[in-house]
Amino acid sequence: MGRIGLSVLIVAAGFLYLPLVVLAVFSFNDSALMAFPLSGFTLQWYRELAQNDNFLSGFATSFLIAQPVGILAMLFGLMASLALTAPGFRWRGLFAILLLTPFLVPKSVLSIAQAMIMSRVGFERGATALILAQSLVALPFATALISAVMVRFDRRLIEAARDLGASPWQAFLRVLLPQIRPALSGAYSVGVILSLADLTIAMFLAGRTQPLSLMVASEFRRELRPDLNAMQVVVLALTALLVGLSEVYRRRRLRRLAAEA
Amino acid sequence: MTFRQRHLALPVVVAIVAGCIAPLAVLVAFSFYEVEDFDLIPAFSFRAWGDLATSTTDWFLIGKAVLSGVATTVFTALLGFPVALALTRLAASAKGLAIIVLLTPLYTGEIVRIYAWRIVLGGEGLVNTLLLALGLIDEPLKFLLFSPFTIGLVLTYNNLPFMVLAIWVSAEMVDRRLIEAARDLGARPVDAFFRVIFPLTTPGLAAGSLTVFALSAGEMLTPSLLGGTSGATAMALVDNLFGTAFDWPLASALALALLATLFLVASAMAGLLLRLKGARAVIGRA
Repeated sequence: MGRIGLSVLIVAAGFLYLPLVVLAVFSFNDSALMAFPLSGFTLQWYRELAQNDNFLSGFATSFLIAQPVGILAMLFGLMASLALTAPGFRWRGLFAILLLTPFLVPKSVLSIAQAMIMSRVGFERGATALILAQSLVALPFATALISAVMVRFDRRLIEAARDLGASPWQAFLRVLLPQIRPALSGAYSVGVILSLADLTIAMFLAGRTQPLSLMVASEFRRELRPDLNAMQVVVLALTALLVGLSEVYRRRRLRRLAAEA
Repeated sequence: MTFRQRHLALPVVVAIVAGCIAPLAVLVAFSFYEVEDFDLIPAFSFRAWGDLATSTTDWFLIGKAVLSGVATTVFTALLGFPVALALTRLAASAKGLAIIVLLTPLYTGEIVRIYAWRIVLGGEGLVNTLLLALGLIDEPLKFLLFSPFTIGLVLTYNNLPFMVLAIWVSAEMVDRRLIEAARDLGARPVDAFFRVIFPLTTPGLAAGSLTVFALSAGEMLTPSLLGGTSGATAMALVDNLFGTAFDWPLASALALALLATLFLVASAMAGLLLRLKGARAVIGRA
């Protein structure tokens, strides 16, 4: 790899990570003002964060909402991928376009339209509404992840299992599932991550529920504060941990599959 | 009728129709309703569409959404190409890591990124402090924060990974021997790029452009939180009409007009990109 290529990558990584590094640096800075020069190292902001009950409950809310979103995105993504790769599915093209609509329609338009329909039919805005809407937005991502693995899957393995007497359900559980498990965990993580990252949908559909992103948005309109930085770093670290764990899991699966083959 | 694998599409279709198609259909219906005493009354009135047609502000804001989408697409494409091409030259083992490095910033919340940029670009932020210390400027640059510049920068930042990913996937499929052949036949690196690599990566560029356009044109948070006085967006106006002003018909009409305009521009963009010679060659081959 040439020197030019390497410098392009370094500059790009610098650009992508600059805001996050600055954020992290100020969360350890011993000053309430977010300005240079830095004043020294402190863990004070993390201590304050740990004692702030509002933040803790917002964090719990976000976490509890993200779990069902991950699971729903994974299940519906799995069903969508199975249908997309099914033999003799005449409506495949139309179905694929339909799957893309939640991605192509701007989140803001979609959420406002959903808010209108909900208030017309008397469906209370809140955690349930938020979970359903976020799962819908995560669905195209989850489907892309799962079907990318599934199209490479050799269908003859299923047919062989069926010929040897396996029921369709057994063939799915014992032949297909082990192959696509890493993709399923990827789909789950994407759902969780998109849910944690979301603010737009929450603004319209959260109702009285207060996930972390909404809380930060309302605090942040007023002022920048180091304890908010500390909180962002904690959220960031947890997300990175999730990404890292699913990557380790994926690699281990791949290695085991390679060893079995 | 026995159960078949393709029947699994059914619950997914029901979910998307209920959660996505029905709300959009309801927008169409509401745009013809009337409002009386803070109550929405079914009617077949063109009042909202008439208001919309004669409002210069509304069309200005829709135009602004298109402009910010197109600008973001162009910026991310210009920056994304060199990055994607550099990524194809990495060793296979480094590529897995590169994907994580590329995608992790996407996993940070929308609000985290916005918040972080305020710290970087503010009057006493990183950029200004650095430029002051280097003696390049005498007082903090004001245009860095709460300006159209900020919106452009942050929208580009938010969407760059999608563009890089799309072009990268496409560039990985270009047969390295084609480039070598071009070089052997005397093409300069620039020619090899414009006449071999670029045409063969247009499908990736098209996919990336559509993705970035769809994600950036309808964005309302970044402009409203970082754009200052230039932060007005069509979607913020829709939000206002929906919530504060309780003019749902006009809110619906405006949202639909925005959606239709974005759809038209996106289709035109896709058509244009896919008509390029290389794209035809790649798609024709597949």
